[in-house]
Amino acid sequence: MYKYDGVDKAIVSDRVEQFRGQVQRHLAGKLSAADLAPLRLRNGLYMQIHAHMLRVSIPYGLLNSEQMRALAQVSRQYDKGYGHFTTRQNIQFNWPALADVPDILKDLSNVEMHAIQTSGNCIRNISSDHYAGVATDEIIDPRPYCEIIRQWSTLHPEFYWLPRKFKIAVTGATNDRAAVQFHDIGLEVVHNDTQEIGFRVYVGGGLGRTPVIGKVIKEFLPRADILSYCEAILRVYNLHGRRDNKYKARIKILVNAMGIDGFRDEVEAEWAHFKDGELKLHDDDFNTMQSFFPKPDYEELDAGDERVQQWRGLDSRFKAWFDNNTEAHIETGYRIVNISLKEHGVAPGDATDAQMDAIADIAEQYSFGEIRVTHEQNLVLADVRYKDLLEVWKALDAQRLATANIGSVNDMICCPGLDFCSLANASSISVAKQINEEFNDFDELYDIGEVKLKMSGCMNACGHHHVGHIGILGVDKKGEEWYQLTVGGDASNQAALGTHLGKAIAKDEVGGAVRNILEVYQANRSDDERLLDTFRRVGIEPFKEKVYAEDA
Amino acid sequence: MTTKTQANRSIKARAKATPDRIQSDIKNIKAIVNQEIVDSDIHHVAETEDLSVADLPSGDISVPMNMWLDHKSELQARDGHVSVQIAADEFPDDLVSELSEINRIVLPMVTHVDGRSYSHAYKLRKQFEFKGEIRAIGDVKYDQLGFLTRTGCNAFELPESEDLEVALNAFTEMSDVYQPSTDDGRLIFSRRRTVH
Repeated sequence: MYKYDGVDKAIVSDRVEQFRGQVQRHLAGKLSAADLAPLRLRNGLYMQIHAHMLRVSIPYGLLNSEQMRALAQVSRQYDKGYGHFTTRQNIQFNWPALADVPDILKDLSNVEMHAIQTSGNCIRNISSDHYAGVATDEIIDPRPYCEIIRQWSTLHPEFYWLPRKFKIAVTGATNDRAAVQFHDIGLEVVHNDTQEIGFRVYVGGGLGRTPVIGKVIKEFLPRADILSYCEAILRVYNLHGRRDNKYKARIKILVNAMGIDGFRDEVEAEWAHFKDGELKLHDDDFNTMQSFFPKPDYEELDAGDERVQQWRGLDSRFKAWFDNNTEAHIETGYRIVNISLKEHGVAPGDATDAQMDAIADIAEQYSFGEIRVTHEQNLVLADVRYKDLLEVWKALDAQRLATANIGSVNDMICCPGLDFCSLANASSISVAKQINEEFNDFDELYDIGEVKLKMSGCMNACGHHHVGHIGILGVDKKGEEWYQLTVGGDASNQAALGTHLGKAIAKDEVGGAVRNILEVYQANRSDDERLLDTFRRVGIEPFKEKVYAEDA
Repeated sequence: MTTKTQANRSIKARAKATPDRIQSDIKNIKAIVNQEIVDSDIHHVAETEDLSVADLPSGDISVPMNMWLDHKSELQARDGHVSVQIAADEFPDDLVSELSEINRIVLPMVTHVDGRSYSHAYKLRKQFEFKGEIRAIGDVKYDQLGFLTRTGCNAFELPESEDLEVALNAFTEMSDVYQPSTDDGRLIFSRRRTVH
């Protein structure tokens, strides 16, 4: 993974001391709370219902064991012994004291981590494919490009006070696991006809109150031009994006207002002023960056392993975990292991300090000391030898990290909701629990198969409900928590927004409604269709009829 | 230099006194210019619907872009130096043909969280090659000075409540940068190219 050089170290270290100064001036009464707010936000520090919340950046979701241990230590020393992994592949701590935050950031800087631009109206953490480098469908490894964009966007002086937050995602695989069409800028690394590497550039996608699928602004952008083109997009957005209404301030609103062609013309005109200037990248730059992401030192192994196969036959729990939580690897004799952070009764995405330490150890012993965070709020050990799977399973299981539910309806994405967040209208975590309890029979879960259930506690859509195969949105109706359901959303290549099922459902009926939706699917599916496929074939009506049958 | 945008001088088409313009005149006795605290005596005139040349105070002033475009010769005939404001919702492109006659641009910021003036400063320096002073005024405090400097501002008038001596620290807080802007900062990758 990327290692800091002197420049990275100086910038992160200076930013920690700058923030320390800002906090000190605030505590001394020389910087008002109102003036501190946008500054602390740009360093990941929110004010939540109960306390401050610190969001630490995990660039494109990649961590090493040492960093994971540092996160565990922060949660132990400064927080309540747990952290929450987010849909932007970051981690949040829910209870730090303001005065401690500079020290937390100092500790994190020692392991090359920071909280720069994890919130605020600026360019956020670059997100990417959590299977980068190991996926069987990968065309080009996106990580070097993510790191190049990360550095360019970090403390960019011109784009620090944008109309609204700005999210960039990069994918390099056939199956888009980074949801690039739902980002302000989505980049798909591709080859053109002459095998030159470049990007298909999407702009103006996003979720939130107004979900929009990104539009292609450039079919093929040579990779040398990626920074200048992003800069042109950002400048047009910075100058023309709406600032009078925060709900209309994202770039998607501007792109829709100008039309993609009008927006493209404006960007191209701006780009023409400096496209061959100092932002142009050289092949050397890519080669240097690529060298930070070498193939690990893989052994030459046989495919499969007799003992592991035997155990699959003997132990149904191991079999379920193997079948659901591990995936094919590009290298013979290796598997990708997903670590489920969706144990029943635990807030989705949460991990304790002891679990984080254990994961660091397991990664060190079995997966080259690296861990990835997924935007579905799980973790990944990307390079596990097939023959070690039994040991890895046992080690994870001992930490309650082997719940065999990856990709199932219980593997839901969920925002913190009303329990923590000052924006939320309704709770998400308790509804997640309700759904977990509704589907506590794992055989039934496996029969249902892949369902991406995504839930947000308010319209801001941190839980990405619009693109859930089943989406759940919490709303406030006269002080009560109600939930609106959608079916058929999809964040992958065939990007689609979910279709509204009907009127909102009372809190205690959400689990039953999800069950109804899945029963309609089970009754209607043909062959190996997923819920999403069946929905695309039969439409919303059968689901609607069943869920609202009692009202009829 | 671009000839793309001819200034739109139709009075009717150009908005005045929008929420993005300073709402009342600003005058400070101190400024930070080229990272030093100096005396200041510029009266920054806020735009109103019926602002006229006759209403202008004497001495050094800055005027809204509309007034410059409509009354340039009268302004140039009066005593005292005249600078021109570019508000957040205006565009430096509209002033391109005027820049040779202007030696100070003022960027009035109603709120520091509005980042448009950063792009204005950048375009003035890089695209329009403006060599004069660019002065940020209004809601401009310690924590904005670093990035405003990088994007091309070299003069600042802070609210009276701000301690200017303390604010000077802003210029040395960050010892390095990743990307070019209008300053000496170079793209990190091109710097590493020469090292490797």
